[in-house]
Amino acid sequence: MQREKQRRGVLDLLKVRDLGIVYALILLVAVLTAVSAATGRPNYLGGDNVANILDQASLVGILVVFMTIVLVSGNFDLSVGSIGALSAAISLSVIDERGVVVAVALAIAAAAAAGLVNGLIVQVVGINAFIVTLGTMTALRGVVLILTDGRTITAESSSSRTALQSIEAGFWTVNFPVILGLLAVIGAGAAFAAGHRGRRLAVLGGGGAVLAIAGFVGDMGFRYAKPVWYMAAITLVAWLVLRFTVVGRRLYATGANAEAARLSGINVARYKIVPFVLTGAAAGVVGVLYGAKLGATNPTALNGLELTVIAAAILGGTSLFGGSGSVITSVIGALFLFTIANGFNVLNLGANYQDLIEGVVLIVAAGVYTVASRRRARAGQAAPPEAPAPGAAADGQPAAPAEPARVEALRG
Amino acid sequence: MPSGEHVDLLSMRGVRKVYPSGTVALSGVDLRVGAGEVVGLVGANGAGKSTLIKVLAGAHAASEGTIAWEGRPQAWSSPADAQAAGVATVYQHIPLAHTLSVLENVFLGRTGWRRTTAGLERELDGLLDRIGYRVDAHATVEELSIGQRQMVAILQGIAQGAKLLVLDEPTASLARGEREVVFEAVRRLSKSGTAVLYVSHFLDEILDLTDRVTVLRDGRVVADEATAGLSEDTLVRSIVGRELLRVEQREIDLPPADAPVLLEVDDLRSGDRLQGVSLSLRAGEIVGVAGLLGSGRSELLHAIFGADPNASGTVRIDGRPLPRSPRAAVAAGLALVPEDRGSQGLFADFEIWRNASIADLPALSRARGLPDVERERERARDAIAALKIKAPGPDALVGELSGGNAQKVVFAKWLYSGARVFLLDEPTAGIDIGAKADIVELVRELARRGAAVLVADSEFSELLAVSHRVVVLRRGQVVAERVSGETSDHELVSLASGLEKEMQRAA
Repeated sequence: MQREKQRRGVLDLLKVRDLGIVYALILLVAVLTAVSAATGRPNYLGGDNVANILDQASLVGILVVFMTIVLVSGNFDLSVGSIGALSAAISLSVIDERGVVVAVALAIAAAAAAGLVNGLIVQVVGINAFIVTLGTMTALRGVVLILTDGRTITAESSSSRTALQSIEAGFWTVNFPVILGLLAVIGAGAAFAAGHRGRRLAVLGGGGAVLAIAGFVGDMGFRYAKPVWYMAAITLVAWLVLRFTVVGRRLYATGANAEAARLSGINVARYKIVPFVLTGAAAGVVGVLYGAKLGATNPTALNGLELTVIAAAILGGTSLFGGSGSVITSVIGALFLFTIANGFNVLNLGANYQDLIEGVVLIVAAGVYTVASRRRARAGQAAPPEAPAPGAAADGQPAAPAEPARVEALRG
Repeated sequence: MPSGEHVDLLSMRGVRKVYPSGTVALSGVDLRVGAGEVVGLVGANGAGKSTLIKVLAGAHAASEGTIAWEGRPQAWSSPADAQAAGVATVYQHIPLAHTLSVLENVFLGRTGWRRTTAGLERELDGLLDRIGYRVDAHATVEELSIGQRQMVAILQGIAQGAKLLVLDEPTASLARGEREVVFEAVRRLSKSGTAVLYVSHFLDEILDLTDRVTVLRDGRVVADEATAGLSEDTLVRSIVGRELLRVEQREIDLPPADAPVLLEVDDLRSGDRLQGVSLSLRAGEIVGVAGLLGSGRSELLHAIFGADPNASGTVRIDGRPLPRSPRAAVAAGLALVPEDRGSQGLFADFEIWRNASIADLPALSRARGLPDVERERERARDAIAALKIKAPGPDALVGELSGGNAQKVVFAKWLYSGARVFLLDEPTAGIDIGAKADIVELVRELARRGAAVLVADSEFSELLAVSHRVVVLRRGQVVAERVSGETSDHELVSLASGLEKEMQRAA
């Protein structure tokens, strides 16, 4: 494919619209590392600190994946914090009598049901998602108060505690380079077999091989808390689905233009409702993990979580208007927020400034994205689509005579 | 102009309007309106009516020519200037503040510190008496019907002390009773000295209501005569301006008479927009739907496609009834190219390849669930070449394409998906001549390959050029059916605008 490279600004060249948060995170980490080194503190990028940040970010990270899905579908969900609190309260009040399996299943089912209610009201009744989920956020917090009677709920029996710990506490060590490297080699091989050619595949395969060998030889295990691995697995699956499946494509189409999607034969109601259900279920999982971590929950648990999650999605470049966004950059947005918090902690800067900085960063990020999109739109207008002859544009081959090509086209 | 002689309220002379794109919308138009006079402004689509109104309303500046208001030359640079002088324009899409009351909307332009509700109510009563209308002053506009909103917009105009009221297609989306109300208002206003410039496709209304008619064609005035001296025949002739180009039809291969019936529509109804439409299409047949704005032509196509949840009646494909949903329609091989391609047909932020594949994604996927991007791009490249889409490549964003090229992308979406019944709503609206010809050729090609095509188009000459048969739709009903070779542009305009006396016989 020829690239139509016009004179583009730095913002465009760096693909700021798509990757801005990655640069921002790298910059932030670099600054924090330099400052810690200069002030004689332990290595900021040391394994423990990184594991710490990831652990702290994991619950928000899980939620931001699904928040991104809701945002891509063109909706909005404020109720995740309350749904999580509901799930924590349900799981902890049931676990002593019914055991961990029933407790967790019940909690997640209730959370998914709450998501379904959100989706049905938004899609079938047609009320704005902001209003609906503001309502369910408040109402479900009320349900939590009723369930807990305003008190802290604790898992009492020791078997419950053990079961909960087995879900949340502890670390898994994964030799990530080996796995990633082998996956890359297999992927590149499969794509090659399927008839794809090109440098990107070679790079992928070669890089994968190097990574696998290095990981194996160097014994580079990654030891992270379980929720971090949950986050990683969920992010990976969601990214694969959104990026590579028909379902993902239709989700983006629904969010980009619901009416055009409907008139293209897409079941728009399904693609609007299911994200709410998934988000509800994910909030349920987060609630269970939260309850498991503390062995207890109180009525104000996870209060305000939704705003952190939405902020992370915005930092990750996900549009509030639907049709665009990536779960990976959203998760990086979450990491960015928690890195700021961690940095304040490690460097012992007054925590008073933290909210101020986070708020300013959010607005600056949104500003950068807005400017980058505007520039892209303008670049598009400045390059009138009349440049190359049609047909020749495709891959440098001479334009096929129009008439036979059309006949060919219509045969399909 | 010597003093003492009669001075026109409005006199536009030699007005030209060239858009930055180079399109000449008006090439030397003269228009005059006397005080209290009702002047009809008619013309085919693209004749320049809208541009002329916008120049008059101060929304566009004329490239050349003069505008004299009450005998004095004017250089209105904004709508506010024109309004201050006394020109009130009521556009088709009525810009009212929907959450405010009728009273607040009518006096929206009123400045000054002190105003009392009671005072405004009295004033509104006076205005209502003037046009012989009643409306609840405290209802919010969003509670009102389209017809009532139209009247609020008219009230807004006369509340500003308009000496000339410009009405752009005021009755296009109104029910019969509501239209009468507008007519009554126009008659009363004219009697009380307010001039009206009445723009309409409905020639019966024009003949009934106006004192004089100005006909535009291709940016020029081709007739300016007293209504009393006009017949429907001369009016239609000056609008159309030429005999039908029958030559264009020679290329159409008629479908065999024994071709199977693909699409059957039986008694399709939806509110008062569609009042029992039945028709059938054979494989290889192109049928035109001739209807003016508000005739229900878009509603018909949407209802057939299952996109109108309020519709009733049956649609059969190959004799099998079609469930009422766009999804079922797509699965059964129907394709809709909607009139408003920006909001209904395309994903502006998606590349050409993602637009072209969206309706047929499983077929382009591995295991029907994993889209094969290379095949999608390949299809987009094919479409770019076959449809002569002017774009840098399959990665071009559709929102950045010109109208004609974007429309071709909408076609591309359906061309490869195995669709056999094409519903085309104004497929060539807002498209340049070259792309238009491409699309006409494409429609013929579709029919040659055995598809059934239903085309709605407000440009009847194009409709005749492309279709085998034309059904005329008026106010949600099929009022006539003609074989394309046996009718004319002229006859269709008459039928669609409700002039032709044959109408009753045909229906």
